[in-house]
Amino acid sequence: MSAAGPAEGGVLRLGRREFGPERRLVMAIVNRTPNSFYRPGLTWDPAVALERVHEVVAEGADILDIGGVPAKPPDDVDVREEIRRIVPFIAAVRVAYPDLIISADTWRHEVGREACAAGADMLNDTWGGWDPELAPVAAACGAALVCSHAGGVPPRTRPFRVAYDDVVRDVLATVLGLAARAVSAGVPPERIIIDPAHDFGKNTWHSLEITRRLGELTGTGWPVLVSLSNKDFIGETLDLPVDERVAGTLAATAVSAYLGARIFRAHEVRETRQVLDTVSAIQGSLAPARVVRGLA
Amino acid sequence: MIVAAALCASPPLLHPALTGREAVVPALRAACAEAVARLLQAGPEVVVVIGPGPVTSEWDPGGRFDPGTFGRGAAAGHGPAGGALPLSLGLGVMLLEQGGYRGARRLMAIGADEPASACAALGAELAAGATRTALLVMGDGSARRSLKAPGHLDPRAEPFDAAVEAAVRGGRLGALLELDEALARELMATGRPAWQVLAGAVPEDGSVVDVLYRDDPFGVAYLVACAQLPR
Repeated sequence: MSAAGPAEGGVLRLGRREFGPERRLVMAIVNRTPNSFYRPGLTWDPAVALERVHEVVAEGADILDIGGVPAKPPDDVDVREEIRRIVPFIAAVRVAYPDLIISADTWRHEVGREACAAGADMLNDTWGGWDPELAPVAAACGAALVCSHAGGVPPRTRPFRVAYDDVVRDVLATVLGLAARAVSAGVPPERIIIDPAHDFGKNTWHSLEITRRLGELTGTGWPVLVSLSNKDFIGETLDLPVDERVAGTLAATAVSAYLGARIFRAHEVRETRQVLDTVSAIQGSLAPARVVRGLA
Repeated sequence: MIVAAALCASPPLLHPALTGREAVVPALRAACAEAVARLLQAGPEVVVVIGPGPVTSEWDPGGRFDPGTFGRGAAAGHGPAGGALPLSLGLGVMLLEQGGYRGARRLMAIGADEPASACAALGAELAAGATRTALLVMGDGSARRSLKAPGHLDPRAEPFDAAVEAAVRGGRLGALLELDEALARELMATGRPAWQVLAGAVPEDGSVVDVLYRDDPFGVAYLVACAQLPR
C-alpha cells in the first residue's frame, strides 16, 4: 500500500474511539446559524442548541457536527463571527459529553484551530480544501479531516452551469488528492475521511450519479461520509419542498449504506439510525436486536 | 451581408434531456423555436451560431454537444459521449436542427474576456461580403437577479439587463458595444461577448426587433428576440 493509502483494515479513528469498516456512524447536524436551509434558526439560541444535543445523543448520534456558516449566501460571516458562533458551544458540549465525537463544520484553518482547542475531534470541510492551511491544523491538533469535492467553486456559491465529463472521476481525483495532501501534512490515514459532497458544485443529475456510483468511492478503502439530508437533489427528484424530503433522504441513505458509506450526516437522527441498522442487518454485519419469532 | 439576426437564451435547461419529467419553461423553449423559425424565413445561405465559449475560436460545423456533461442517466443516448462543442454552440445547433435547417452553418465561440473592439471586428467581418448570412446569437444576461439566483442578488443586475433589453427593443443593436465588459463579467452575464459581435455586424440603428421572451424565472435574465435589419 502506498504511503498515501487508507489505513490498514479500514480502521477509522475519531477522538479516542476506533471504528472498524462495518460500523455505520450517524453525524448529527447542529447548526449555530440563524438561517440555514433546513429549519432555519432552530438551534441559534445556545440553550436550545444544547437541548438539541441532548436529543440527538439520546437518539443515537455518534458524532455531532457543529457549523456556524450556512452553505448558501448571503450575509458574510467572517472568521471572528464564525468562531463566536461555534467555539464556546463546542466547549460547552465537550464539558457535557467528554466522550462524544465533536466535528467542526468549517473550511477555515483559523476556525479549525480554535475549534480543536475547545475540544473538537474532527474538521468537516465541505468546500474541497479551499483553505490549504486546514490540513496542517488538523495534523497539529490530532484531529480527523474530511476531504471533500466541491467542483472548485468558492465557498458559499451556488453551482452555475457546472459540467463534468465524468463527475465521479472528477470527485475521485479531487478527494484522493486532498487525502494525499493531508497525509503529507501529517494527518494519519486512519483520521482521514472522503466525501463527494452531494449538491456542492453539482446539479441533481451529478448528485444522483455519485450516489449510484458510490461504490467507486467506497472501493478506494477510504472511509466515505455522505451528507444527503433534505438536500435539493432529493427535492428535485421528488418535486418536494425542503420540509418534505425525509423519505427521499432515507432512500438515498439506505442506498449509500448498502454501497459502503460509513458516516451519514443527518438532521433526522433516529430515523437515520434505524435505516443504517436495517441495512447492516440485511448485509449481515449487525445482528438483529432480538430474534424469537419462529424459534420458540 | 447579414439578412437576419436572432438572440436566443442559452441555459443548459433549454435542452429537453436535462430537465427531468416536467416540461420546464415551455414558453422560453417556444420563444427560441419561434426566433429560429423567423431567422430561417429570411432564406440565408449560411447561419452563423455565435455564443460564449472557453476561447474565441471557430468550431467544426459538424461538431456535437454532449448534454451528458450536465447530467448522465436520463441524458444518456441524447448525444454522443465525448461531444465537445461548448454549451452555447451546442444549443444553437440543436435549435437549428429542431427548426429543420439542413443548410450551411458556422459555429463561432467567443471567449468571456474578448474585448468589445475585437468582438465588433469579428462582427464586421461576418457582415462583409455578399453571402446571405443569418446570425443566431446565443447568450444570457445577469445570473445575479435574485436572492435565489445562481449568483445571488446584485442590485446592479437589473439596470444592466434593462439597458440590454432597451437597446435590443429599440433596434439599436450597435449600442450593445457600450456594455461594460468588467461589469458584465461580475454580473455573470454570459451573453456580453456574443451580443457585441452582433453589434459589430449590425452597428446601425433601425432594426425592427420583436422581443419574444424576457424573464428571469430562476434569477438569470433570458432574452429572446428576432431582428429585421435596416435596408
